[in-house]
Amino acid sequence: MRLYNRRRCYLWSMMRFPFPLSVLLLLTLLLVAGCQSNDKSVVAVTVAPQQVTDDLGHQLTIPARPRRIMSLAASMTEMLYAVADTATIVARTQVCDYPKAVLRKPVISSYPLDLEGLVALHPDVVFTVEGITSLDDIARLEKLGIPVYCQRYSKVTDILRGLTDLGRLLGRAPQAKYLVDSLATELKSLEQSVAPAPVRPRVLAITWQDPIYVYGENTLFTDRIRLAGGQNAVTEHFAQPYPALTREYILKLNPDVLIGGSFGKLDSTFFKSYPELKRIKAYQTRRVYGITGDLMERPSPRVAESVRELQRLLRTP
Amino acid sequence: MSRHAAPWILASLVLMAVLVVLGLRIGSFATDYAFIGRTLLHYNPQEPTQLALVELRLPRIVMALLAGAGLALSGYLMQAMVNNSLADPYLLGTASGASLGAILCFSLLTNLTVAGIYLPPLAALAGALLTTLLVVALGSQRGQLIPGQLLLSGVAISSLTAALGGLLSFLSSSEGQLRTVVFWAMGSFERAGWDVLPYPAGAVAVALVLLVFLQKDLNVLLLGEERAQTLGVHVARTRWILVVMAAALTGCVVALCGPVGFVGLMVPHLTRWLLGVTGRANLLFCALLGADFLLGCDLLARLLYPPAGLPVGLITALFGVPFFVYLLRKKRVAL
Repeated sequence: MRLYNRRRCYLWSMMRFPFPLSVLLLLTLLLVAGCQSNDKSVVAVTVAPQQVTDDLGHQLTIPARPRRIMSLAASMTEMLYAVADTATIVARTQVCDYPKAVLRKPVISSYPLDLEGLVALHPDVVFTVEGITSLDDIARLEKLGIPVYCQRYSKVTDILRGLTDLGRLLGRAPQAKYLVDSLATELKSLEQSVAPAPVRPRVLAITWQDPIYVYGENTLFTDRIRLAGGQNAVTEHFAQPYPALTREYILKLNPDVLIGGSFGKLDSTFFKSYPELKRIKAYQTRRVYGITGDLMERPSPRVAESVRELQRLLRTP
Repeated sequence: MSRHAAPWILASLVLMAVLVVLGLRIGSFATDYAFIGRTLLHYNPQEPTQLALVELRLPRIVMALLAGAGLALSGYLMQAMVNNSLADPYLLGTASGASLGAILCFSLLTNLTVAGIYLPPLAALAGALLTTLLVVALGSQRGQLIPGQLLLSGVAISSLTAALGGLLSFLSSSEGQLRTVVFWAMGSFERAGWDVLPYPAGAVAVALVLLVFLQKDLNVLLLGEERAQTLGVHVARTRWILVVMAAALTGCVVALCGPVGFVGLMVPHLTRWLLGVTGRANLLFCALLGADFLLGCDLLARLLYPPAGLPVGLITALFGVPFFVYLLRKKRVAL
């Protein structure tokens, strides 16, 4: 009796839809079911997770084909957008703002780290950059079963290697290779376009005015400015990547070019606070320039764009 | 207990001269004594090394001397005023108030230089004076300063301003701002320049002149309020003068160099150990000793971590505290 009732209900419900629509619905259902079973078979073949070692030497296990990923650094988000299937990126941090599409993703605070929010997203793997996420936060995430893959860049080529590594981990090696090859070609042509000069201009890039913090010798800036045809004015190795310098030290460096803000802006702030520094060559020859902060600060796939910007500044007479 | 002060004063002056000359040699440009002599006699601002010597090293040295003198004097005054040897210049909430002013400036303003004036020191001074005013208002009744109440008000208001400063730092959007706040909070003489030196110099000079007349009252006050009153000291009025002087000295120093700790606590004690509690030249010697101590700490800071130097507040604590504890254990003099 009950069976009959059910069948009758089913038939009745079928009849409520116009016939072609019902058929369409059935076909769609069949198709979806078919796809699902198909997908399962793929997973079954490549189910073995990957054992990988990140740039810091941490060993971690991540799924063969991570389906849910996120990054804890603005630069890493740019890297993921360039290589990964963007649908697999489950969130962004409050500082991630490039490319524009990332703004549509839910936000997880990276500082202080919203551990609960992150866990709730069930990421297969979290990517970050050395120095951005504390080792303590990484350890806590791993304790909660979320593998954290950390990258480190000291040269521009490290960014390319990073992209290749991401491609391999995410099962997108061909896409990564295509991107890396084109970036390498672009960087090479940029490097070759620099006219050979007897002495490369010495460039000092400041990140903060009080105290005066600068891009140290052991930052990516050194390699970027080399590719652009200049050289980092800071050649001494400091423990901190962005060391604080005294006015006397800068006076002694006497850089040819100063990066950190337009001439007008720095003239009314930086050089107003430190009038002694008006004696440096960069000020005397007005070779003081502002630069796009994101491009300069982030080790991202936009590295060629950043080198091109630096090159344009150095070519300004 | 009182000993002859002249040899000590002479010694501190000699030490100061030695430290100043050494200080002139430390920096990025290599300089020798002959060069320093030449520069001081025939200064040529077109020469970068000479410019660095006269425009950067010398003001930094003078700033360290003035800050040391100012904080030591201020500490001496506070200890006399509340008649408590644990007192220091920051008792009135000056340091945390100045920090709050500076942090407000760093985190809320996008442009720190307005009309050619660099705002953080002004904001720090305003914060220092406003906090001091609040603490003094809470610590006084019917025009009389009540030491115990003043101490507790200072602690309470300091906690409040520190919490507000912490909140602002926590909410700070940029890493640079955070670093500035941290750097500022540990004290530094790097920003010193001839243009700002008249303010602390004026405060120290006025304090020294004024205190020459008050020295006797001050010493009597150290013996306790009741004895001071029976000996004819106008306790309430003297306390007010001391508070105003201490606030002005500390405010000037903190606004320009950040809250350098420990000098104001240690140097007055050393002074009393060396010259006795009621020495006539105590204040002068205290100022000289404070100046020497802070300049010595700054030299050490610059030598240990060139070029920018460690924050001087770290040096005063790291090297000053063990020395202080050693003296404390060795001498066992009643505080």
